[in-house]
Amino acid sequence: MPHGRITHARWPAAAPPARRPRALRLALAALTLATSTTGAAAQNHAHAPPADAPPTGALLHLGASATGLLTRAAPALAGRTFTEGYLTQPVLTAAASLAGGRLSATGMLNLEGLTLRRGELTAGMWGEGYVDRRHPHTYLHELVLSGRAPVAGGSASLSVGRGFAPFGTDDPMARPFVKFPLNHHLAQLPERVLASAAWARGPVVAEAGLFTGAEPRSPEDVGGLDGFGRSWAARLTALPRPGIELQVSTARVAADQRIRGIALDHRKHSASARASVPLLGGAAYGLAEWARTSEHEEGRRVYTFESVLGEAALRRGAWGGALRFERSTRPEEERLSDPFRTPYPHADAHLVGVTRWLVVSGRAEHNRGVGPLRATPFVEASWQTVAELTGSIYDPVEQYGRADQWHLSVGLTLGAGMRHARMGRYGAARTEGHAHAP
Amino acid sequence: MTARSTAGPLLLALILAVATACEDDPVAPIDDDEEELPVSAPLPVVGHGLVPERYTAEVAIHGSWAYTSSWSSRAGNPGNKVVVWNIVGDQPVAADSLIVPFASTTGDVQVSDDGALLMVATERTGGSVMLYDLQANATRPPLITRYTSPATNPGVHTAKFGRVGGTLYAFLSIDPLNTSEGSIAAALVILDLSDPAAPVEVLVRTMGQPFVHDVFVRDGILFTALWDAGLTLWDIGGGGLGGTPADPVQIGNVLTEGGNVHNVWWYHDALTGEQRYAFVGEEEVGGAIGFNSGGDLHVVDVSDMANPVEVAFYHVPGAGAHNFDVDEQNGVLYAAFYNGGVRALDVRGDLSACGAEQRAADGRCDLKLMEREAGVGLADVSPVAVWGVQHRGTRVWASDMVSGLYVLDVSALRR
Repeated sequence: MPHGRITHARWPAAAPPARRPRALRLALAALTLATSTTGAAAQNHAHAPPADAPPTGALLHLGASATGLLTRAAPALAGRTFTEGYLTQPVLTAAASLAGGRLSATGMLNLEGLTLRRGELTAGMWGEGYVDRRHPHTYLHELVLSGRAPVAGGSASLSVGRGFAPFGTDDPMARPFVKFPLNHHLAQLPERVLASAAWARGPVVAEAGLFTGAEPRSPEDVGGLDGFGRSWAARLTALPRPGIELQVSTARVAADQRIRGIALDHRKHSASARASVPLLGGAAYGLAEWARTSEHEEGRRVYTFESVLGEAALRRGAWGGALRFERSTRPEEERLSDPFRTPYPHADAHLVGVTRWLVVSGRAEHNRGVGPLRATPFVEASWQTVAELTGSIYDPVEQYGRADQWHLSVGLTLGAGMRHARMGRYGAARTEGHAHAP
Repeated sequence: MTARSTAGPLLLALILAVATACEDDPVAPIDDDEEELPVSAPLPVVGHGLVPERYTAEVAIHGSWAYTSSWSSRAGNPGNKVVVWNIVGDQPVAADSLIVPFASTTGDVQVSDDGALLMVATERTGGSVMLYDLQANATRPPLITRYTSPATNPGVHTAKFGRVGGTLYAFLSIDPLNTSEGSIAAALVILDLSDPAAPVEVLVRTMGQPFVHDVFVRDGILFTALWDAGLTLWDIGGGGLGGTPADPVQIGNVLTEGGNVHNVWWYHDALTGEQRYAFVGEEEVGGAIGFNSGGDLHVVDVSDMANPVEVAFYHVPGAGAHNFDVDEQNGVLYAAFYNGGVRALDVRGDLSACGAEQRAADGRCDLKLMEREAGVGLADVSPVAVWGVQHRGTRVWASDMVSGLYVLDVSALRR
């Protein structure tokens, strides 16, 4: 095995049933449309495709999954406890491979615009006009086409479409917890129109890309080419040992030119270490990341937000568990009559404050098959505490009723067909590894 | 020459001198010593009305009453409340309140020059202005009308009264609108309030970069604070260019240092009659409210309105300018400076004349170095975030976003 070529531990199969009903087998077959190819793509690629992506030879794979979720947040607002239910992360995924793997496509439709319009209670989360709620993703979450060819002793690719800029770590949807971490808008750059290049040789993957700086404004926002090329990102990934991945990345995100109001340029940095290895007879995963975003107006640094996150998961047999620790800072902004929304953009120019959140989360899950479906009932709990850092007028105890809060979520994830792969790497940059998601 | 011959002229001179001394001068001579204000005098707090459940925004004064609006959401309470204060004594007493439905922020509040109307701007949930009848009841003024139109969407950030040719108008600075379908630029909307129950929209004009944030209207001249597009002067009836509120004609523009033109006041000195200066507030991007802020106060010479020029500035380290009120009898400008409290500036006289050691590198005079800072209030309070100020007699009412309404004694700043 060449250095850096990873044969990571596969997740244990999701308890396949001994015999599936014919109708279910047909349904499963419909989700997996495969034709025979040579597998040359895999041979040309320094890193085998992720196990949950189409296997070599597959032309098209489809998948679907969704999570029913009940969340209790205490307190959520001004001392009040909220209990809410959602259908979260309802997604349709697709991956296709053509021309012996030299051409590939990956895509995801996310239907949260239909099921999660008000957002999902997640204290500390913010972005795209939501606060203490995770915003719904856009319907077209990802659609990227990649072409790959051998170059300079390695494999190079060009990718275009809408998806993740080459920055930071995997999308939280492809990680163990259903509840997002607070640092999503610090550690990833999703849902952008992009063109990126990647080159992989041995244990090193280099990427660079141009993209649109604008964040989506609604689930319907498919983005345009406005401002394309004014934002860029670059990421360097090293694979020193099987199952071990180190990355550093940086990005310059130009202010959204569509905004009528104050919009700031972002300078982003990220570093992370990721492990996906066999352990204790099961499959273990770990991630440690640091991310920083500084916001600038005409070159002058105005704000800086930072995050440190560590998470680990172990699946053994049908059971799995995960832990996550996060320490992130976020802006506190003017809130609307819906206290979980903020204006976008501000009419004025100040923050109400800056808060630091410490969050400790745990998860337990049970994976089982129900016919062609993967069923994962789970429970997630988190404790978090918040403090204002600047001495501003903002008092989190006024906002929430207490500085510390508990979240308890129970849910069931159902999936069929292809699992969505790790999100955010395309073409030659697709390092091996599962999405560590249910 | 005999003693008799010299006594006559001396007596005549004495009589003339006495007669001259007894004449009343049409303009009283200025005694520089008497007129001088203190430098950086502390402005003591004499009263404090508390609003702990909301962030307080602007303050307006009318007779024995003060009205404070509110901003954003605090402890789950939206900024939809206007507190009515009895200010007969030094300690403000919350006498009543107005709850404005369908508003998340009531950022601006103002009383008309005749004391008849109270206007409250609403933002975010469809913009509007609420017009209340102060003559009917100043404590709990009845609503005359709520004016909203497609042009006031998504919010009225500031609303100012202005009288032109005897007619009362409202000048509304409208927020920009950003949606997934597109963006609409900020705009100025002018309402004819001849009949306050039925305002008539006479102007909707896109302006500002990216905002038209505030205006000042006096003598038929409209001053617009256009953020990075600077300060623009318009003839709306007093500039001799044929402009009207329905069709303003631009007279001049100036890009003040640093941009971010937030608010403006055209100063008419009641003693000297001088109308030379407009004071501009700059709100710098950045900072956390109550902790730090930025942006200077700029002095613009508008004696040639077609070619206004910035001549001086006032800087408070770590704090930024917000709204103003001017005691034009005494020549004192009061400025809200967020975490910098209240700053009182001596603005009488020539603000463009200063020594080399009192100038910035770009030639502008530094009012601080000119010892024009006459008073400082609330500087020792933390946290404090002063949004607006209003002056009457020997008192200044300062709205503090954190705590409510402060009352400062400014009797030391009377000439």
